[in-house]
Amino acid sequence: MLFYAFLGCIVGTLVGILPGIGPLAGISILLPVTFGLDATKAIIMLAGIYYGSQYGGSTTSILMRIPGEAASVMTCIDGYAMAQKGRAGAALSIAAVGSFVAGTFGVVMLTLVAPPLAGLALRFGPPEYTALLVLGLVLLAYMSSTSLVRTMLMAAVGLLLGCIGIDVMSGHFRYSFDIKELGDGIGIVPVAVGLFGLGEILSTPSATVTQKVVSPRLRELLPNASEWRLSALPIARGSVLGFFVGIVPGSAHIIASFLSYAVEKRVSRTPEAFGHGAVAGVAGPESANNSASTGAFVPMLALGLPTGPVTAVLMAALLIHGIPPGPQLVSEHPDVFWGFIASMYVGNLMLLALNLPLVGLFVSVLRIPYAYLYPLIVMFCIIGVYEVSHAIVDVWIMLIMGAVGYLLRKFDFDPAPLVLGLVIAPTFELSLRQSLVMSGGDWLIFFQRPIAVTLLALCAGLLVLAAVALLRKDWRGRLARAQASGEEA
Amino acid sequence: MGGGAFILIGALVLSMSDDLPFGTLASPGAGMMPKLVIGAMLAFGLVLLARARGGPALAAIAWDDFPHAVRLIAITAACVAVYTWLGFIITMSLLLFGLTCVVERKPIISAALFSLGVTGFAYGLFRVALKSPLPQGVLWF
Repeated sequence: MLFYAFLGCIVGTLVGILPGIGPLAGISILLPVTFGLDATKAIIMLAGIYYGSQYGGSTTSILMRIPGEAASVMTCIDGYAMAQKGRAGAALSIAAVGSFVAGTFGVVMLTLVAPPLAGLALRFGPPEYTALLVLGLVLLAYMSSTSLVRTMLMAAVGLLLGCIGIDVMSGHFRYSFDIKELGDGIGIVPVAVGLFGLGEILSTPSATVTQKVVSPRLRELLPNASEWRLSALPIARGSVLGFFVGIVPGSAHIIASFLSYAVEKRVSRTPEAFGHGAVAGVAGPESANNSASTGAFVPMLALGLPTGPVTAVLMAALLIHGIPPGPQLVSEHPDVFWGFIASMYVGNLMLLALNLPLVGLFVSVLRIPYAYLYPLIVMFCIIGVYEVSHAIVDVWIMLIMGAVGYLLRKFDFDPAPLVLGLVIAPTFELSLRQSLVMSGGDWLIFFQRPIAVTLLALCAGLLVLAAVALLRKDWRGRLARAQASGEEA
Repeated sequence: MGGGAFILIGALVLSMSDDLPFGTLASPGAGMMPKLVIGAMLAFGLVLLARARGGPALAAIAWDDFPHAVRLIAITAACVAVYTWLGFIITMSLLLFGLTCVVERKPIISAALFSLGVTGFAYGLFRVALKSPLPQGVLWF
């Protein structure tokens, strides 16, 4: 077990360091490698890649001002500024210690929160699951970085893709165009690898990637007393904030790091130092994104609800290994659940021990010219997708999704809700239809059960909040245009 | 632009859904979920179209990376088309050579050495070490 946690941490750190390969693409590409392992080892290794990438992402942000993955964007600002002042080692240490403290806090909370939540979820029937999945989609749209309409549109496309294949209740073939491989539906892996792996490569021409690698010496890694003091509270705040943001569906670890930066700037006695190498600007966001990535496991393990594309792919990995994530996971597969949690305690310690001494080794990977690196990634994408089902149709789907991902980025659509829609589509359809059959076609079933009605009331509240925000934005825009035309006149 | 495209896609999929019965609320058919989702897609597409200023205009988008993306997709598609016929070693060598030499304009010798070396390593890792059933093709490798 420890070996697989170690392997996941190492690969995750590399995935986090390399620009263009986020944790999602890394996990998707390496998913087939875990097929020969049992479920516990597979999930331990894949989760190691996920939280390892959160550690690795900070390295390139601080040393090169290139975020290895999206959650490290905020670390670029003050981390790189600290590096410019000769404090690169201190920034790396603070990021690593913050990530360790936050990661460990997240795992402790996961241990405490997930089992009782799973116990509560055992009371869920089809109407409650339908309401929960609707809430997941609405929350995702509400928290999304792009507009609510665009996010819902992407989720709808994902749900529609999830309808492809044989209908489990009637046996009808849907949109399979006489291709027998499509009878089982569209796989998550080809879609995720295409949208995030290949799509990212298509959007990154090699001429735009520069490699200027600076690696700090080992003796420069220790922060001074003042830097430790300044980082203590931001690490604590980032850990707590990150965990709770992580539970909410959406790109939680990205939102958490942005929120944490805003909070630290707001509470700081020297907000003017932010952007010029403020220690809190590194400690807070780095802690928050690590804690959030652990928090995201709570709904996945306890409810079987993926809160983002990474947890969706991890859920798919468990399903491939014959383990359905959800409330029964703790009671029916305690070895997987507790083995996974134990590996996260050890994994965080491993990452702390590995990241600082080996920082020079990790950044040397960036010396490989991108013109040689991306063909390698394309090859791994093809191998990875083909190995899942041994169907060439899946490789074509990956290629098409790569092109779709490229176009979506161009038109400012976030592809993550599409993957989420695809993952929840079968459960959503089944629970919706089961609810209707149970009630004899009466929609009121969703409003007659306390848990379902509470969840739907939350959805309605969020939609009202989003509509108010939208109207307010429109009104402000109209006011600004009217003022501008008035000034011109 | 984006909203219009999604409306078109929604209308197209709806036209392909004729043979899927909607059923009744008490006994939902195979077409219920897709048709509900298409309805939502059309509605969101219309909202997006009505608020067209929210997204970037086609002319405002930087397309300078487009030729690179097209070359990359074309070479990858050609290799995928022959993957199961030519097998892993030949296809992957051609893919890597095509991407490094044709797309990235690296010298032929270094591109060839890189392609053969990496393919050999990947074959050793996946086929020999991990026992993954890679496609063998007409030449049995």
